[in-house]
Amino acid sequence: MNAAWLPLTALAASLLAAVIIFSLPEEARRVRTSVNLTAAVIKISLVALMVKRITNGDEAVFSFQVVGNIDFVLRADALGVMFAGLSSVLWLCTTVYAIGYLEGTANRKRFFGFFSLCVASTLGIALAGNLFTFLIFYEMLTLSTYPLVVHSGTDKALNAGRIYLRYTLTAGVVLLFGVVLLYSLTGDHSFASERGLGDYLDDHRVLLTLIFALLVGGFAVKAAMVPLHGWLPRAMVAPAPVSALLHAVAVVKAGAFGILRIIYDLYGIELSVELGVTTALAVASCITIIYGSMRAIAQQELKPRLAFSTISQVSYVILGVSLFGPFGTIGALAHLLHQGLMKVTLFFCAGIYAEELGIHRIDEMDGAGKRMPLTSLAFTIGAFGMIGLPPVAGFITKWYLGIGAIQADMYWVVAVLVASSTLNAIYFLPIVHRLWFRVGPAHGHGHWPDEQRLGRLETHGWLLWPAVFTAAISLAAGLFAGLPFSPLDWATRVAVGEYLP
Amino acid sequence: MTTLLLILALGWPLCVAALGIWQAYRTPVARRRYFTGWWLSAAWPALLLAYAGEAQWAMDAWMLGSQWSLDALSRPWLAFTALLWSFAAVHARGYFAKEQARAQTGDSAAERRLLRLALLWPVTLSGNVLLIIAQDIASFYLGFAVMTFAAYALVVHNGTADAKLGARAYLILAVLGEGMILGGLLWAAGDTQSVMLEGVREAVATSDYGVAMAALLWLGLGVKAGVIGLHVWLPLAHPAAPAPASAVLSGAMIKAGLLGWIYVLPLGEASLSPALTQLGNIMLIAGLAAAFGAALYGVWQHHPKAVLAYSSISQMGMLTAMVAMGLAAPEVWPLLLPGVVLFAAHHALAKGALFMGTSISEHMPRWSPVVIWMLLALPALSLTGAFAGGLISKWSVKSALYEMHHETLISLLTWAAVGTSALVSVSLWRQWQQRSAGGSHPGQWGAWLAALVAALITPLWLPLPEGSAVVPPLKEWTSLMWPLPAGVLVVAFGLLVTRYGRLATPPAGDLWWPYAWLGQHVLKGVRRAGHGFAALKARCVDIALAIETRAMKSVTQLTAMEGWMRHHTSGLMMALAVMLALLLLWEGAS
Repeated sequence: MNAAWLPLTALAASLLAAVIIFSLPEEARRVRTSVNLTAAVIKISLVALMVKRITNGDEAVFSFQVVGNIDFVLRADALGVMFAGLSSVLWLCTTVYAIGYLEGTANRKRFFGFFSLCVASTLGIALAGNLFTFLIFYEMLTLSTYPLVVHSGTDKALNAGRIYLRYTLTAGVVLLFGVVLLYSLTGDHSFASERGLGDYLDDHRVLLTLIFALLVGGFAVKAAMVPLHGWLPRAMVAPAPVSALLHAVAVVKAGAFGILRIIYDLYGIELSVELGVTTALAVASCITIIYGSMRAIAQQELKPRLAFSTISQVSYVILGVSLFGPFGTIGALAHLLHQGLMKVTLFFCAGIYAEELGIHRIDEMDGAGKRMPLTSLAFTIGAFGMIGLPPVAGFITKWYLGIGAIQADMYWVVAVLVASSTLNAIYFLPIVHRLWFRVGPAHGHGHWPDEQRLGRLETHGWLLWPAVFTAAISLAAGLFAGLPFSPLDWATRVAVGEYLP
Repeated sequence: MTTLLLILALGWPLCVAALGIWQAYRTPVARRRYFTGWWLSAAWPALLLAYAGEAQWAMDAWMLGSQWSLDALSRPWLAFTALLWSFAAVHARGYFAKEQARAQTGDSAAERRLLRLALLWPVTLSGNVLLIIAQDIASFYLGFAVMTFAAYALVVHNGTADAKLGARAYLILAVLGEGMILGGLLWAAGDTQSVMLEGVREAVATSDYGVAMAALLWLGLGVKAGVIGLHVWLPLAHPAAPAPASAVLSGAMIKAGLLGWIYVLPLGEASLSPALTQLGNIMLIAGLAAAFGAALYGVWQHHPKAVLAYSSISQMGMLTAMVAMGLAAPEVWPLLLPGVVLFAAHHALAKGALFMGTSISEHMPRWSPVVIWMLLALPALSLTGAFAGGLISKWSVKSALYEMHHETLISLLTWAAVGTSALVSVSLWRQWQQRSAGGSHPGQWGAWLAALVAALITPLWLPLPEGSAVVPPLKEWTSLMWPLPAGVLVVAFGLLVTRYGRLATPPAGDLWWPYAWLGQHVLKGVRRAGHGFAALKARCVDIALAIETRAMKSVTQLTAMEGWMRHHTSGLMMALAVMLALLLLWEGAS
């Protein structure tokens, strides 16, 4: 039984929300909030339905022909639904957070409209059934994110937006070139096809490698792999919910997800290994992991430090993909979810510190644990997760990546993982130390840079609860990783599907 | 029933911490008590669990799949750990009574410190309990990490410059250690595809790279256990930490490293590879070097707790040497293991009593000084192996080694005991010099006395297998006892000699200082390289921008050309038409 309506409605939920929000007047705050939240909840339920269908063994497919032999395909397969699940859950959290964050500021209509569009494109990317569909939503994501990055409208923001567009649009062109080459070689090629591109190996080895390089090169810009990462730290000028979404699920993850699709569903793992591209990818991602961490240590401000941390952490996903073997795959897929949860928590907290206390620099955070215990606890959980300490989810992925590396006989990857853990500890532990062990304004030494009293609790409830929620999930995803439908369980399901078709 | 106890053993400390938060939230500072009866009870379920018999639990949902068990090894270990934590908690209540009074009268710094300690103490405890009962890698690593990082609060408690330095050394080495442990565990687990500690042992024993895994794990866990070279945090952290924290740190937590070795190294397995045997020999040498080196360095220290910290390093050196025998001479291990457990348990309680004793000599109860000093000396005597529990624990180790004819090691260990007695003599001497009256809290001396008694009668309460703790035959007593007078004499002689020439005290933390110097210089180099790279990158960006500007200029020139073409349209069209006509003509002609 095919339920073509399912992926389509899921996509429509956020698209429609965007349309409604754009048509509402700026002052209609309550209606806009209700539309946003309703759409988010609907989307979560639809994704839950998809999960249910997949556990029963059937995928929902929606497709129509665009021109010639090019189809527009939405397919809810296990890998796609995993990403869709992440994006829908985090959309709800981020929306709640953004409502609290932007309370009383200008241009909220524009913000939430493009926010919904951005999430719609993420969902489209997740469910895209072939490269053509993927590309459409991928470019849509680029364009719908721009207004969010430049939301504040300052010179710095506009400049960051310009750099963002330079990077991503150039990458889009490269990507397009790769896609056209591929289509001219193979015609339409569904992600669901079992054959992979192995048939073309003998005659078109060089061309296949070139296409791979073009596609992955295009995706690597969004995945912020060194040296194509320049836009990400600059895009930090965006409001906190945007940064959270950008880093946790939307843009950066879209790039990583694209690489996943290319390797698993387009080329096939055997072919990728045969072409020798995975080793190159592993080296590139290791360089990114170490470089990102090194740069993070040098940052004196909170958000840029988190941004460089993202650069480093997202490459774990790529690293896991490039380790040939089920464990690496499980690690990569689980990290896609885990990193999203943990990083969104960290960015939520960074935003809360900035809004409530005016903290932007790390040395202003002394003693903030006393003033904002829940936020600081959430931040601590996220930070420990990034270091990869149990029981937070980050440990689980690091574990699987390490095992995968050993089984692929790539011992140096373990060294990279351990080095990265240590570097993460070097730049996260001082922050945690400042939060809890130093005396600061909360103990009567000096003043917060710009203290607001946004709510009855330590800050506005709409800001606080999403952060606490995602922190709790990151903790639970690690502590109860063995439960069915945990991120690890779902990643295992996908990986088993890839390796034992 | 046992399962309920297990849940309580792990969960109760966390509940106690939560209760602490609740109290801090509810009660005003002026009436807040941090060390309530609930708080004292944090370790009791674990203690009961240790005596509840052997049991096993498995849970698939927990992290990577867990297996916890109470067996012949983990039961006694849990027993002495939980017992020490319980005593130290009672001691803490007395030790911090004055600080609590200050906090209640409005000293906000004291309030902050006490709250932090009261919350993280039970968390550290639960980590310690978990790592003892864990048989799977994830739970063990979780327990280890929780214990390590939560204990930071215990070390840094005083907030003085010394405490900060000690805590910093502790944390830096802990992070390094965690990294090495993670690397070793990953490597081993990837090799056998197992998530159990048993799989790690198997991988280390059978894999081609087993010795590298073993070395990583030995050094990583060795940070806790104070392996020579990685021990530098101990003499820095102990003098600065409060006495009850030092007691659990030196008694229970550094033993976690030892237990980790026993869990992950294939000790006593037949047909180990020559490389592993070689590693065993290296461990043996490192252990003995720590045993002697720490004694030689420690006797010069001024602070009694620094002396005791060096004594811990020395004692752990002996234990390292014994563990090394498990690799170097596997056949001796089954006989040696009960002795190692007894030795560790006795050292934990005795060292706990000694550290608590430092707070007694700082606040002497109003008893006869003779009684106090005799009581202070008792655990010291026991630690040297000349008396009560210490005598039996030393003998249980030695008899195993005798049986397998490792006489050299025995005599070396005996000589190391001279170092131990010299260290404890110096420690007592320093305590005497730095004593101050002032009366102690009943909790303070009560817990101290209890730990003292427990240390002396360790073999009686430790749930060891039958027959593993026996009183040595009379003819062996001299060989066990002579190190004590020898050590005391060495110290007395040393005191006489140094009385006339003032010698500078070597700083506590020995190798830390060269490490710190080296680290600073490396960091300076890295920073310089970083600036260099940043400059390089900036130049690259400049060059790229220049190229872009030039390219843009040439593109703009194209528009200018377009203008020129537009200007001369008619002429150009004419020329084109003429050319076409000529072409046509030429084609027609040919």
